[in-house]
Parts: sequence; structure tokens; C-alpha cells
Amino acid sequence: MIQQLSIFVQNEVGSVAKVTAILKSNNINLRAIASFDTPEFAILRIVVDQPERAKAVLTEGGFAVTVSEAIAVELEDKPGVLHDLLQVIADAGFGVNYIYSIVIRSGKVPLIILNTDNLEGSKSVLKEKGYSVAEQEDVVL
Amino acid sequence: MIWNEAKECMSRDEILNMQGVRLKKTVKRVYHNVEFYRKKMQQMGLEPGDIRGIEDLNKLPFTTKEDLRENYPFGLFAVPQSEVVRVHASSGTTGKATVVGYTRKDIDIWQECVTRVLAMSGIGANDKIQVAYGYGLFTGGLGLHYGAENLGATVIPMSVGNTKRLITMMEDFEATAIACTPSYLLHIAETLEEMGKVDKIKLKAAICGAEPWTENMRREIEAKLNLKAYDIYGLSEILGPGVAADCDAHNGLHVYEDHFVPEVINPDTLETCKEGEVGELVFTTITKEALPLFRYRTKDLTSISYDPCECGRTIARISRFKGRSDDMLIIRGVNVFPSQVEAALLEMGETSPHYILIVDRVNNLDILEIQVEVAEHFFSDEIRKLEGLTKKISHVLQTALGLAVKVTLVEPKTIARSEGKAKRVIDKRKLL
Repeated sequence: MIQQLSIFVQNEVGSVAKVTAILKSNNINLRAIASFDTPEFAILRIVVDQPERAKAVLTEGGFAVTVSEAIAVELEDKPGVLHDLLQVIADAGFGVNYIYSIVIRSGKVPLIILNTDNLEGSKSVLKEKGYSVAEQEDVVL
Repeated sequence: MIWNEAKECMSRDEILNMQGVRLKKTVKRVYHNVEFYRKKMQQMGLEPGDIRGIEDLNKLPFTTKEDLRENYPFGLFAVPQSEVVRVHASSGTTGKATVVGYTRKDIDIWQECVTRVLAMSGIGANDKIQVAYGYGLFTGGLGLHYGAENLGATVIPMSVGNTKRLITMMEDFEATAIACTPSYLLHIAETLEEMGKVDKIKLKAAICGAEPWTENMRREIEAKLNLKAYDIYGLSEILGPGVAADCDAHNGLHVYEDHFVPEVINPDTLETCKEGEVGELVFTTITKEALPLFRYRTKDLTSISYDPCECGRTIARISRFKGRSDDMLIIRGVNVFPSQVEAALLEMGETSPHYILIVDRVNNLDILEIQVEVAEHFFSDEIRKLEGLTKKISHVLQTALGLAVKVTLVEPKTIARSEGKAKRVIDKRKLL
């Protein structure tokens, strides 16, 4: 499992930039980012190299932040692999809440990050099927 | 403790007799010294001798804030300027400031009243009190200051404007009491939480006033800071802080009836309300020298009770304020008080107590939007839960107000915190 930060941002000009400004000035490295919007507000989800510190500086900057877990799975770069992975989760009867981008890691295969309604169960079935599920340290390096 | 048992625990007959004697004296003095009241009484065919006791109070004319403004600055003073030792003035948000004056004896009575309030809150000579109301023309700072000195407590005259310094001194001096607005105290509590210093402070009592607040807000302040919070009421026209305050029973605010006679009237018919009935609070001063006022209309809505309190005091109690007759919003024909919104939000307990009402008129329809800050511990990672929260808040407010409400969640600390009176309403309709 990896740690992701969810940040409440209002849907207005410059709101995401306020978040990235804080990360930049604290020298925190972004590994993945996704935003999910509604008409009034957005939840920005990020994976960073220093989650606890990122939470502290963002909270200090006036943001509501929660740290939660998500599954990060290694995927080969070829057609159909994401489908195979999702089929494993669907067959196990788990629902996917959201999937987002890919963590860039130099010299390693990409990761896909997903959240389901049963994180531990999803992780087990994926491992059983031979998927490589990453931990926080894999994201940091 | 009860600071002045002789005055706070009289029988009802003793109170009425004392009030009658003092009222008669005041009416005679005012009639001879204040042209404004003499003319009013002459127009009504009323002579000082017609006031034979407190039962004749309702024969006297009302006084309004406009009367004070029209006689700006000193027109209603009843003593020569040489006897006035201090003036205060209220913020003139609309029109001219309201100017009030005090003789030496007025100041003595004022500090006696504030001392009674502080003693009622369990504060004594061994306490160190931070007075964090504004010092200056506003009555809050100096009013609490002299009352606390009179009590023998150690006064730390903070005034307002520097929360970090206030907290440093609160910690270093081991302050045991604080006097400030309830919204500012919540701001202080938030700052203490951020600094991780809540455990380091020694506050045991807070004297909060100058703006309306709710029982829920009291509970939140008490839980956050582990202290007892008391409600103090006053208005510069009558005295300043110290006209009334609540005791440990928190069952209404005790009015110092040996100096101020309260009445509750129907603001439309001007008839006196029955005991327990909600209406506009009206005060007549019966000991004030510099600025005695007859039946001053406060615009504060409350009810009155003459039942003795469990604390032992027998003086009249006014209930927690239901709002002001003049900050009441009328939205699509529905009367809305910001305090209702606050009470509903705190009752629901899933948001921060920081909110603002925005009233606008779109296509000739009044729209009420309420912006509420997302509190970190209620912030969910899931959009559907946040949308659920928004819907729930709308529903709770709709039930409480009887009005459809658009709820917008906003980022923490984006709604302005005030060190004076909290601004809870933006009425864009007035700009049209």
C-alpha cells in the first residue's frame, strides 16, 4: 500500500497552484497527481515522497488534508494489461472507487494507483494473481 | 461568589421600592436638566410629579439610538461638562457615532457592576485576567479593566490585535481568566490548537460578550479550552459591559436592577410583554448621572423572568438573546437570524462553526447561500461523502430556518475571523 494525500480545494482560479506552491517551497517531490472536480469544489489527490511532511505544511497553509492508503500496482506497458487487472478485482466482487495516473520511476515499470471498497482484499487477490503491489518506499525511490 | 448580597438578593418588594425612589429622583433631575426629555414630557402632558413609583414607568417616553444621534454629541447629558470625567463612543457603522458620558459616580457604579459579574464567574483577587476587548472609545476594554481592578484581580490589559502575543503572555503569566468576544475566543482556541499549547494554559474562566452567541458555542469553547465561559451583556448607552450577566446556572442573565430597570415590549405595538414572552428589551437607568435614559430601546430580543435563581440571586433575569430586531434578515418573507444557523450547524456537529450568510437577489428572488468551512476532521476523501455532507447541511438548515438554502463548502480559514464583532452576513440586496 502507498499513502496518498487528499486535499479539499475550492473550484476557483489558482486553487491548485496554491497547493503546488506550498509543495515547491518545501521541496516536496510529486510522484502522481489527479484532481476530481464537482461544480463547487475539487478533491486533489497526490502521492509525494514525504507524505507526513506534506500534510503538515499544507495544513499550516490552510488546507483540509487527509492521508489515506491506496493500492499501487506495477503494470507492463502493453495493451490489455489494465483490463486484466480490473477483471481480477471485479471477479473478486470488489468495486473500484477511482483509478489515477501513473507514478514515474526512473528505470522501473510504471505504477497504476487505485482505490477500491476493499483495499486489503483487492491487494490479496492481486498478489495471488502474481501482480507486484508496491509499498510506500517503492514510490519514494 | 455573590459580591453584593445586599443588592443582588433583595426581595421583590424591596427591589420595587428602591426602584421607585430612584426613578422619581431621576425623573425630576432629568426634567430640569435635559431639554429633550422636558419637551417630550410636556408634549405628552406629563409632569415629574406624575411618576409616583416604579408602576408609572410605562408613562415615560421611549428613547432610541436615533435620539442620541440627533443630539450628538452631548445633547442628552444631564450634568455640566465639569462633572463628566469620561466619554465613550460606539462604532458609527451607520451615521454618526453614539457618544456617552460618565461622572465619577457613574464610573464607580460601572466598576461595581463589572466586579459583581466577575465575582459571579468565580474570579477573585488571586486571578490574573487578560482583558482582550478593544481599549479606547469602545466600552469593552476599559469597562472590564476597572471592574477587575476593583475586584483586586491582576489585570493584563491586552486589548486586541496580536493573538500570538496574547498567547505568549497567557502562557508565561499563567493567566487564569480572559475577557473577550466569544468568536475571538474561538479564534484563540484554534490558534492554541495549531501551536499545540492547549495543555499549557491555565485559564479557568472566560467572560464573553459584545456579540450574540449560542449555548452550543459556549459548550464548544468550554470543551476546547477546558474552562467555564460566562455571558456578559451591556450596551454603552446604558452603561457598557456589566448591565447583566449569567451565573453558573446559565439560565438567563441577571440584571442589576438597583441601577437599571428592564422591560420587555412588543416592538410593533410598544405594549409591555408578559413575563416570559419574547420582545424587545428596554432599559431605564435610575442612578446614572451624566446620561440618564428613559426606556431606551435596545433592539435586543429576549424575555424576562422574576423567579429567584438557584444561585440565590433574586434580581430579574433576561433569557439568552434571540437575536436583534435589526439584524433579522427577511428572506422570501421568512425571518432569519444568523444565530439560528450557528445553532443548527453546531447541533449537527459535522462542520466547523465558521460560516457566513450571503443573501442575494437573482431574478427578483432572494437567495440564501451559506458558506461553511470544511473542518479537517470532517473532511472525507470521497466526493460523494462531501456531497452528502453538503446535502445534509442544506437539509438541517432548511428545517431550522424554514427556507431553502444553498450550501457551499469552502476551504478552512477562508472566512474572515474577527477580533471584534464577527461578521456573519453579507446582504448583497442592500447594494442594489
